[in-house]
Amino acid sequence: MGNLLGSFNARNVNLNMDDKPTFDPQEGFSYERKPREMIAKEEDLISARIPPKYRDYCAHHLLEYQVCRYKNVPLMYKCAHEKHAYLNCEHQDYVMRMKEFERERRLRVRENRLIGVA
Amino acid sequence: MALSLVKKAILANPHSLRKNVGVFCNAARNHWNYQYKPGPYPKTMAERQAAAKKYGLSIEEYQPYPEEMGYGDYPKLPDIGADSKDPHYPYDLPYLKRNFNEPFHVASEIIGEDRFNISVKHRIPLWQQWTWFLGVMFGSYMLYRYLDDYKIGRPVVAKQYPQEGPHYMFCPK
Repeated sequence: MGNLLGSFNARNVNLNMDDKPTFDPQEGFSYERKPREMIAKEEDLISARIPPKYRDYCAHHLLEYQVCRYKNVPLMYKCAHEKHAYLNCEHQDYVMRMKEFERERRLRVRENRLIGVA
Repeated sequence: MALSLVKKAILANPHSLRKNVGVFCNAARNHWNYQYKPGPYPKTMAERQAAAKKYGLSIEEYQPYPEEMGYGDYPKLPDIGADSKDPHYPYDLPYLKRNFNEPFHVASEIIGEDRFNISVKHRIPLWQQWTWFLGVMFGSYMLYRYLDDYKIGRPVVAKQYPQEGPHYMFCPK
């Protein structure tokens, strides 16, 4: 469905936007999932005064972007590549969240079906 | 000029001047004079007729206030504010929208054009105003109560932060 009504039918399994996944992350996978790694160090983020809400898995791109801005001010256009990399990373992060949502929804539907059969 | 007018008035009609001065001095000192005071409450038909004649009303339209209100024989006139009176009628006193010798309403001070219109007729009646107001308020609330079960949002889980436990990608190690 579209973006606005994306979680509308998920309410049938009591799943809403910004809920946390409840199943075991490895459940249903034939392989072992690759864990996400945090590249930026917390001390660097604190030193660069990145706000806590931006200290996600893309923070190292943000840090690079901000460093580039600091070095190139006022010629911000020189940081276009860094900005692009950061925004791409955020986009991939969002896609991953959407995948997690869909996985959660399907697992809940499956669980309901199994309970109904049993 | 003014002094000559006063002199002329004194010489022309000394008796009337003395009386008027007395009335005005009394009104300024005591805020009213005996002529403002209504008579006692009319109990018999003859008294009613006398009171009606005194206030320039016919016996049919004369109606005193209840005795306990203390207005004596003062007539109970219809509650019509000056704003509700016909503005095109050729009144004797257009400023007050009043004719000569027409009795004053008891509350005429407050129902004049400058204060409050007791017989105001709204373009939208008061019950309709209340209906619209309460309808909108309760309607909005009922809509909110109904739509509370149909929340919508984007299909994403909560944002993943590294300190909130391990997160995994959708690819093998």
